[in-house]
Amino acid sequence: MILANGIVYETDAQNELLSGLPEKLNKTLNAKPLDSEIVINAFDNLGQRIAQGEFSDLISSIEMSGKDEYIDLAVRMMSRKYLEYKLKVELGDSKTDLFKDNRITCGRVPLGVLFHIAAGNMDALPVVSIAEGLLAGNINILKLPSVDNGLTVKAMEILIEFEPRLKDYIYIFDTPSSDVVAMKKMADMADGIVVWGGDEAVAAVRSLAKPGTRLIEWGHKLGFMYISGFENKEQELKDLAEHIMVTKQLLCSSCQVIYINTESFDEVKEFAKEFVDYLNAAAAKYPVDEIGAIAEISIKRRVALYDELIGGDLSSKDEAVFYGDNISVTASPDSELELSYMFGNVYVKPLPRRDIMSVLRAKKEYLQTAGLICSPELRDELAAEILRTGVERVTRAGNMSFYFDGESHDGEFPLLRYTRIINIEK
Amino acid sequence: MKSVGRLLRYKDVYDIDGSEELFIDAMRENCKFQYDNSEDYRKILDGMNFNPDNIKSMEDVTNIPFLPTLFFKTHRISSYKNTKHLYKATSSGTQGKFSEIGFDIGSLWSAMIMSLRILRHWKIISPIPCNYIVFGYQPKKSNRTAVSKTAFLTTLLAPALHRTYALKYINGKYEPDLEAVFEAVKRYSKKKAPVRFMGFPSYTFFVMQMMEERGVSVKLPKNSKIMLAGGWKQFYKEAVEKDVFYSLAKKTLGIEEENIVEYYGAVEHPILYTDCPNHHFHVPIYSRVVIRDVNTFKPLPNGQMGLVNLITPLFKATPLLSVMPDDLGILHDGCECGCGIKSPYLEIIGRVGLKDIKTCAAGASDLLDKSNLSKVIQGGEK
Repeated sequence: MILANGIVYETDAQNELLSGLPEKLNKTLNAKPLDSEIVINAFDNLGQRIAQGEFSDLISSIEMSGKDEYIDLAVRMMSRKYLEYKLKVELGDSKTDLFKDNRITCGRVPLGVLFHIAAGNMDALPVVSIAEGLLAGNINILKLPSVDNGLTVKAMEILIEFEPRLKDYIYIFDTPSSDVVAMKKMADMADGIVVWGGDEAVAAVRSLAKPGTRLIEWGHKLGFMYISGFENKEQELKDLAEHIMVTKQLLCSSCQVIYINTESFDEVKEFAKEFVDYLNAAAAKYPVDEIGAIAEISIKRRVALYDELIGGDLSSKDEAVFYGDNISVTASPDSELELSYMFGNVYVKPLPRRDIMSVLRAKKEYLQTAGLICSPELRDELAAEILRTGVERVTRAGNMSFYFDGESHDGEFPLLRYTRIINIEK
Repeated sequence: MKSVGRLLRYKDVYDIDGSEELFIDAMRENCKFQYDNSEDYRKILDGMNFNPDNIKSMEDVTNIPFLPTLFFKTHRISSYKNTKHLYKATSSGTQGKFSEIGFDIGSLWSAMIMSLRILRHWKIISPIPCNYIVFGYQPKKSNRTAVSKTAFLTTLLAPALHRTYALKYINGKYEPDLEAVFEAVKRYSKKKAPVRFMGFPSYTFFVMQMMEERGVSVKLPKNSKIMLAGGWKQFYKEAVEKDVFYSLAKKTLGIEEENIVEYYGAVEHPILYTDCPNHHFHVPIYSRVVIRDVNTFKPLPNGQMGLVNLITPLFKATPLLSVMPDDLGILHDGCECGCGIKSPYLEIIGRVGLKDIKTCAAGASDLLDKSNLSKVIQGGEK
C-alpha cells in the first residue's frame, strides 16, 4: 500500500506517483512552513485515541510480549508534553532566531525533504521516524520495512484525517529494497536520508545517496553490561536477567555480553553458572516462544563449532556453556564485544578495568548503551571511563532499554539533524 | 558394509525392533568408513570425542554427531577421493546456498532396492500404463535439482503413456503452466488409462482450485493417484490443511483419499518415506529419527516437538549417516496411528527460523539470514 497526499493507493501506482512527486514537493516547499503546533496537536490526538482503545483491533495484530508497556511508551511519545519537551530540549530557542544583529539574521529551518528508510525491528518505528521529521517541519517520504503489517499507513491515514494540513507532508511507499530505481528516485528528491538498519542497509544507502545529501544513520548497536561489585546483588542480577528476557536481546540497547571486572576465567565461569538461575527465573516470567528462531540459532552455533573443529581454530572449545530451560549463559575467555545468540543466550566475559578502552574502541561503531552494576563509590568513575570509549548511555541493571524523556538517540538530537541553519544578510 | 546388505534384504520394511541389531552394526560400519576416509568428518568426531568403534547400542547411534543441512550448504564433504565418478544431487536452496551431495553407484543401488521394497510394500509399482502429470521441472541437463529427478524417476514406476510437465522452461527460467495442466486433465479424463499426478503439493492444489472456480469437475479413471513429493513445506500448519486437499481432490478429480499418496525424502537423507492409509509417515527400517531439544540437542521423548535428526547407514560417498534438516517435528508412537504398523511416525510441524524477526542488535541480520522470509511457492527445498 502507498499513502500519498492522504490517499491510499495500491502498490502498482508507485512509478506514476513517483514521477509526479518532485513537482508536488516543490509546491509544498514553496508554501508556508509547517507549524510544529499542528504536528504536536495531531499526534497528541492520535496518542489519546490509541490510549482510549480506539484502534485495539489494529493493535491486537501485533504479536509481542510486553505489548502493553510498548503501547504505553508509544502513547507517551506522542503526547503533547513529550513532544513539546523534545522540541525544547533538542532545538531549544534556536528554532526561530539563533541570533540577530544589525546586519545578519541567523535562524533554524527544516531541512526540506526527508527520505526515511525504516527498519522492521519495532512496529511503531516508521511512525516515530515520520513524527520526528514532521516535528522539525519536513516533508517525509518513507519506505516501509518489508515486515510492516499495515500499521504505519493506517496510523498516518488516521492522523491526516484528523489534521488534513499534514497530507502533503507524508508519503509512504511499500517499495522493496530490491527496487533500486525507485529507491534512487526517492533518494534524489531528498535533502536528507534517514536510515534505520544494519551495516548492510547503511552501506547500501551510502551508495545510493548523491554527494551532498545529508545522511542520518541510525545503525544497529551492541549493548553490554559491566559488573564491578554490587550494590544489591540479588536485585541487580534479577533486574538484568529480566531485561534480557523482556527484550529477548533484540534491541540496540539489549545486553549481549556481561563483562566482569576480572582477569580470572574461573571467576567468569563461576558468575555464569550462578547467573543461569537468575535467567531461568526471568525466562519463566517472560518465556521465549520463538522456538523456530532458537532452533535456527542452535544449528548455526553447531555448524560454527564444526567449522572450528575442521579449521583447527578451537577458540570456542574453551567456552563453558551453562544451559537452563531454553536459555544459556556462555562463559567465554576472550573479551570481544559481540552479538550473542539472543533470545536469552548471553555471554559472560572477563574485562579488567584497565582494558575497557582498548576492548571497546575496537567496536566503537557499535557502542551505544552500557549497563553498569558496581559499588556506589565506583559508579561515577566507571561511568565516565565507559563513556570515554564512545558509549552514549550508561544505565542501571534493569534499565538498559528504558527510554528517558529528552534522551539523545545514538548520541545525537535527531531534530538538530533534521534541520539546517540559515543566515540572511540585510 | 555387509550389514547394509543384510538390512536391505530384511523382509518387513517397518520392523524397527527386529532390525535394530542390523541397523546398529550397519551404522558402526558406515561411521568407521566415514571416519577413515573423510578428514573433515574425522576432525568433527574427534573434536566431539566420539569413537566409531564404540557404537554398540541405539543410544550410541543417537550420540553420533549429526551434520545439519546448513553444514552441507557451506561445505563440500566427501569420503571418496575421486569425486568425479559420483552422481551429484543438489537441493534447490534459497539465496544461492545449496547442498551438493555426492552419491556412489553402490549407494544408489542400495537406495533403489530400498525404494523398490517400500513401494512394493505399498503396491505402488504397477504394470498398468498411466498418463502422468508431473508437477516438477522438465528434465534438462543443467537442472540437477533432486526434485526434478525424483519426479521424473517416479514416472517409471508404472509405464508412461504420456507426460505433461507443469513447470516449463521459458526464457531461461521455470514457470508454472497451469492452463496446460488443466487441459491435460480434461484430455486424460476421457481416456481409459489411470492418471498419476506427481510432484509439488501446492501446484496440484492450485489446479484443483482453478477447476473448482471454473466449476469444472472430472472423474478420472479408476486407480488414478495423486502422488505428492517435493517437500512438505506446502503442508505446514499455516498452509493448506490436508483435509481440504483431500475433499477438493474428490470433488474436482474424483480421486479418493486412499489414492492420495505422499512421499518425503531429503537430498541429505534420501530414504523414501511414504504415508500410510492414515497419512502418517512411519519410519522404515533403513532410517531412524531422533527429535532433539532446540537448545541443548538432547533427545526428546516421543510426542514432543523439536529438531528432526535423520539417521541412516545406507550411503557411503558422503557422511549422511546422521543429518539434521531445517525441520521441526514430532515423533509419535506407532501404536497411536492405528494402521497396524508399529514403527513410530514422523510429523513435520514447520521449518526453523523466525518469519519476521525484528531486531536492531548489530550483526543480527547475518545470524538470522532472511532465507526463510522468501516463501517461494515453486520451492521444493527437498
